[in-house]
Parts: sequence; C-alpha cells; structure tokens
Amino acid sequence: MIDLSVDLAGVKLANPLMTASGTCGYAQEYGSYVDLRQLGAFITKSITVRPRLGNPPGRVVETRAGMLNAIGLANVGLEAFLKEKVPLLEDLALPVFVNVAGTTIEDYLAVIEALAEVKVVRGVELNVSCPNVKEGGITFGVDPVQIEHITRRAKERCGKNILIVKLSPNVADIAITARAAIAAGADALSLVNTFTAMAIDVETARPLLANNTGGLSGPAIHPIAVYMVHRVYTQAARAAKVPIIAMGGIQHWRDAVEFLLAGATGLAIGTALFVDPACLLAIRDGIADYLRRQGHESLDPIIGSLTLNTAS
Amino acid sequence: MVKSEPQPSRGVFAARVRSNRRLCDEHYLLRLEVGTDFPLTQAGQFVQVQCAPVNGAEGPIVHEWGEKGPPPQFQSPELVESQVLLRRPFSLAGREEIGGRTVLDIIHRVVGRGSARLAALAEGQTVSLLGPLGNAFTWDADTKLAVLVGGGVGLPPMLYLAERLHQAGKPALAYAGVTSANLLPLSLDAAVPASKAGWPSLCVREFARWGVQTTISTDDGSLGYTGRISQALFDWIDQGRIVAAGTIVYTCGPERMMRAVAEGCLARGFACQVAMERKMACGMGACQSCVCKTRAQNPLGWQYSLVCTDGTVFDARQILWE
Repeated sequence: MIDLSVDLAGVKLANPLMTASGTCGYAQEYGSYVDLRQLGAFITKSITVRPRLGNPPGRVVETRAGMLNAIGLANVGLEAFLKEKVPLLEDLALPVFVNVAGTTIEDYLAVIEALAEVKVVRGVELNVSCPNVKEGGITFGVDPVQIEHITRRAKERCGKNILIVKLSPNVADIAITARAAIAAGADALSLVNTFTAMAIDVETARPLLANNTGGLSGPAIHPIAVYMVHRVYTQAARAAKVPIIAMGGIQHWRDAVEFLLAGATGLAIGTALFVDPACLLAIRDGIADYLRRQGHESLDPIIGSLTLNTAS
Repeated sequence: MVKSEPQPSRGVFAARVRSNRRLCDEHYLLRLEVGTDFPLTQAGQFVQVQCAPVNGAEGPIVHEWGEKGPPPQFQSPELVESQVLLRRPFSLAGREEIGGRTVLDIIHRVVGRGSARLAALAEGQTVSLLGPLGNAFTWDADTKLAVLVGGGVGLPPMLYLAERLHQAGKPALAYAGVTSANLLPLSLDAAVPASKAGWPSLCVREFARWGVQTTISTDDGSLGYTGRISQALFDWIDQGRIVAAGTIVYTCGPERMMRAVAEGCLARGFACQVAMERKMACGMGACQSCVCKTRAQNPLGWQYSLVCTDGTVFDARQILWE
C-alpha cells in the first residue's frame, strides 16, 4: 500500500496535490470534471478585503508552451467569500488554504484575521508576488526587508492557521526572499508564482494583453521552477525544516516527481487544470506508481533526495 | 442575463474525427463522433477542443525511428510553432445521431496555431472534447419569428439554432454576412441565386434544409447584398417586412457587427440576444479570462461577466460595448 500523505507544517494532507491559486476559482467550477475531494488540499483564488473587478480583457494569451495572464486579482471580496464561498469549500472536506492579496499591509491583515475564525481554513497563502496589479503584492515580494515585515505582521494575526508565503520568481536570487520569509516566521513557502512577461502582436505593434504585461505559466516555466525549488530547499528551507509547496508547469507525474526530488513537500497544479481538471488525479496516481516501481511505500524517501552530479 | 436550462452533465470526451472538410478559403467543417451518452446540447453552446490528436499512451508523443526509414527531420521552426497548450472554444454548428453515434459539427476558421492543427486532423484520429459549455439561445411561446444574424465565423451557431427552431416549430430568417464570397462557409443552391437587393431566399442549403430563407451580404459585393449584414437587416425591417412584436434577433460574429445589430435592433424595439466571443483558457469559469462588460445594479453601473459561464449568450440590453 502506497502512502502519499504528507505533513505540511502540521497540517496532514492525504496526498501532496493541490490546486494552484487562481486556477481553480472557489472549487465548484470544476465540480463535474474532477472529484476535488481526492486532493490533498485546496488553494483558493486570491481574496482581497474588497471585491475586485480585475483587469479589462484580453486577460490571457497563449504563448509557446505556456500562457500569459493578467486577470488582475478579480475576486468577490472577503465578505462574499465568507458568506457564499466558504460553505462550498466546507463540502470538500479538505484542508483549505486561502490565498490573500492586498494593496496595503492593513488590507492583508484584515483578511488574515477574519480567516483565523473560519474552521475549514487551515492556512493562509500570502500573495506577495502577483505581477499583474501595480500595488498588488509584487512591491512587497521582491524586497526581502518588506517580505520579512509583512510576514511577521501576518504571522501575528494567523491564529490557528499556518502561514504560507508565496514567493515571486522575479528576483535575482529567490533564496534571499525565502530566507526573509522563514526568518519572519513563515510555516511554509510556495513557489513559484508566474514570471512577468510580455507578448506582442506584430501586426498592430501592441502588447496582446490589455495590461501590457502578464504572468507566464505552463510547461515553459517548469525547469526554472524546479531549479528555484532546489535552490530554496538547499539554501534555506531544508535547514529550517520549512516545507515547500512547488508549482510551475506541472502537466505530468514526471514533472511533479522532479519537484519532489528537488525538495518539495506539496505540489500545486495550475495551468494544466484549464486543459483537463482530471489531470490532478492522473498525476497523483502516476506518483504512486513511481513510488511502487522505486520500491518505496511513502514520499519521505524521495523528498529532497536529488543527488547532484559531482563531475567537472 | 439570458436564463437557460441547467446543464444535466458535462465532461471530457474522446471524439473520433468522422470527416474534416474545407468549406471555403478559411473555414473547415470538422465532424466529430462521440458516444450517444454525450450530454444534451443546445444551440449557442460550445465545446473546448484540444487541438492535437490524442496520443493513446500516457506521456509525451514518442517519434519512432525504427528501421524502416530515416530519423524524423526537425529542420523547421514551425514544428515548435505548432505546439498547442490550451484548448480552443468552438460553438456547435449542429448535432446529429448517425448509426448509433452522436456527431457534433464544428466549423472553424484557420486563424492561428490551434485552428491550423485542427485543419490538419484526418478521419479516424481522436481529439479530446470538453463540454458542453455555456448557456444557450432562448425563445418563448410568444416568439413568432426568429432572425438569425451571423457574421463570418459567427455563422456556425446559427446553423444549429436554425435546426432547433425548426424542431420547435418557430419560423426563422437568416442573415449571413462575410467580407467576400470566397469566405462564405456555407453551400449555395445553384438554382436559387442570392438576392442583390437583400431579399431572403432559400439560397443557402444549410438553412434551406430547415425551411429558413437567407439573405447574404458581402463587403465587396462579390455575392448577394453589398455592404454590412446589419444594414441588409435594417433595410428589410425599415421596409416594414418584419415587426418587432413577437420577433427575436439572434446574432453572433465580429464584435463590431454584433454591436451594430444589437444597437439597431434595440433602437427599433426588437428583442435581441448576442453570443459573445472572447479568448479563454478554461471555459469552465475558473480562469476568469473571458470577461465582457455588462450592466449591473452597483455603484459603477457595470460588472464583468464571464462569457464562458454567464454567456456566451446575453440579452443585448445587458452588454456595454467597448
């Protein structure tokens, strides 16, 4: 019997698979395509204090092996989330991690404080890395001093919930921002958010996204994300015993196992859900088969078990 | 917002390519076979098609070198260019039960990497379908006449709508607008010429099949009425040939055309439903990409609605054109 369960900073998950924030709405959208109750945890779309309409269209464009999005944190806002969406999340009977975004520290703290009272919510994912909103997080996310500050303040208000800090890849060295988050009390890290990117319509000589720039996701970013998980794991998280939720272009169980070998405890699937929500279960089953073939009964022996080449 | 019946079910289905036929310079008719257990569909709904043949085995497609021939030649950058990640949304152009199978019709225009891949599909290949998605065109007991206004790639859902209206016993007229005759994805009846004056006739076989007379317009005058399809419609209306009471105008096509149709209809007191088009990633309401501005009872007076799940069909009064 293969045991896929993991312990994510004290939260027990039946398996490491989660939905990446912003790609799965509030859970009911994929209702008829995949049984989300078979996941390890559910990560919601970003929630802000007040509702946000988001950016004008076009909000999305496909690029080679990836896509750009500039949704602009469109969401129902805290009040509607608590009233309308939380009951739906309760039906999942899964640990729920709520992604929280804001424009000021006070905005973040108001949402985090409210979530501390919600039973089904087990963690807060601090979005300090949205590349698509001017004031929306990224200004916190690229500066280690600001990350440390907002993480510390957030941790004070988390109550029963664990604090996951979602790191931006749009930095020179992600280990620096990872260390800042860990030093300030982050219980877990999630990485990576999307890469700031641009696609241009050559006929009109204008960007294809109304927002001009967007976040690149999908298989195009997978190898970079694997490297970043490896770097954060070896340079910060392993020693601090802070688990990593890895994301970035997972489409197949092999993509997922690469992240586990690089040091990830959790795995979030995003863009691939748009193509087939049921890939979550195929990836989960593929990981179990891999463990079986490797003669393992649980994930522990493979997490972070990457052996680096020593030649040269 | 236009209400439609709740969806009984939806899902991901493997579909066999029954045929893939070029209709005109840019459009193809792709006929896809699925099991008869495919969920109920309505005119106006769409499916998300994975624009690549499904590989039977799990994992990446492996190119077999074998002993029979030379290794594959990867000399062309177009090979990389042709990779497609996301599904592409297509309205249903029809549904038919043939020989114990359900056949879904998709008419698509080659505009980019995804549709170029679809155009290359051969009979017997399998593609993955997700759906059915979106709401549907609606009418009620008081509807006496339906007017179907389609522009270019917006014509396919009108074919399905013509069939459903026929089944419901509702008379209909069709208006088909294209930029030029070589871009008309419909077949003409050689015995019934399209009227230059914009008079409806049984000139288009796909509509005539359901007893629906059609007016064709081309921007360059190469076929039928010369000018915008909206103008052909309003000429007819303004001659008093159609009255607003009991009539619904349905429209789908380029946004500028739909706007002209919608605004002209509303100004003349006609009910109008529009099928909106947006680029979308998921089609299921999750990615929040495919927004359009609609009227709302809030301080702003508007909101963003999702074309995939709130639409694609909206009451024209709801839309705030940009």
